[in-house]
Amino acid sequence: MRTRGAVLLANIITGLALGYTVTNIGFGDFAELNRMFTFQDLRMFLSFAGAVVILVCAFALLRLRRTPGRIHAGVIPGAVLFGTGWAISGGCPAIPIIQVASGYLPALITIVGVIVGIRLCRWANARYFHLDRGSCGL
Amino acid sequence: MSTYWPWWAGAIGLALVTINHTLITDRSLGVSAAWDRVLHWRRERELERMDEEFADDQALAEALAAATAEHFGTGTGASTVPQAPHEKSQSREADTESAASERPAATSLRPAPLVTQAALLMSIFLGGFIAAVASGRFHLRYDMGPGFRDLVTADSTTMIAMLFVGGVLVGFGTRLAGGCSSGHGLSGCGRLRPVSLVATAVFFGTAVAVSFLLWKVI
Repeated sequence: MRTRGAVLLANIITGLALGYTVTNIGFGDFAELNRMFTFQDLRMFLSFAGAVVILVCAFALLRLRRTPGRIHAGVIPGAVLFGTGWAISGGCPAIPIIQVASGYLPALITIVGVIVGIRLCRWANARYFHLDRGSCGL
Repeated sequence: MSTYWPWWAGAIGLALVTINHTLITDRSLGVSAAWDRVLHWRRERELERMDEEFADDQALAEALAAATAEHFGTGTGASTVPQAPHEKSQSREADTESAASERPAATSLRPAPLVTQAALLMSIFLGGFIAAVASGRFHLRYDMGPGFRDLVTADSTTMIAMLFVGGVLVGFGTRLAGGCSSGHGLSGCGRLRPVSLVATAVFFGTAVAVSFLLWKVI
């Protein structure tokens, strides 16, 4: 168990590094993103895929345990909604933040939408779906 | 020639960020989970307070003994242990169960403190700002750039509507699927979790299909 201060410092460093890296890869640029998704330019796709390959090797070498994850009823519809929203707005949950940081002020609207969507999902799940959705990062 | 990093530099950068975060915090990186906790900070604060109350194993054992005694009507131990934690836990059972469903099933770790999740989101902004300024790409804009104008819409009202709808879909979808491109895509696929592999394939495939529609059809 890490101390509160260590986790805080780690999250600050992670946030700075993630924002810096993702901005320099070009994930905040809608045109670049569309070129990745339409395979006109494989640079960003290779960045993502390359990172996953490195992570698979690193986590195996570090013998980090593989946390189980149940493929519940919300995974596929949720991923379809996320993929649609990502292609339309150009933002996954971290991207609108760096879009605003890069000067794209309308991305504030995307952030408002993300906030509404997250709150709406928790409300809908508690009221209707009752899914144990799990979580990737805490 | 693109002014962005080459693919290998991006791959190394993303991998290093994820590995460092995982090693230092003992937790997986997940931006949508951070959003979720920060947005529901009142409930998360309550849960953190409850966690702190039961951080001491001895206190937890005593509280459980008191609860058991009360449940079976013996009264044994009930007079020696304060009742408040038990009553509190009863009244918040639904909330606790709801929030527990947000947590990874296989870890005994408590979630990272709420303030650290807020710090993560703010640091992403700062890191992005530093990168944009340092690379000379920072410009205040009132649109989303030529790519969005050409492929989605040039009309400002429609742009606002599309960004909002897109944001709602992203927020709802990531929480319904239990993760996003960092959580499922990097941390989950890096650990070869089946749920993350499925989620990543589906959200990437859907984004490809919708992007082709925007590019070739609409």
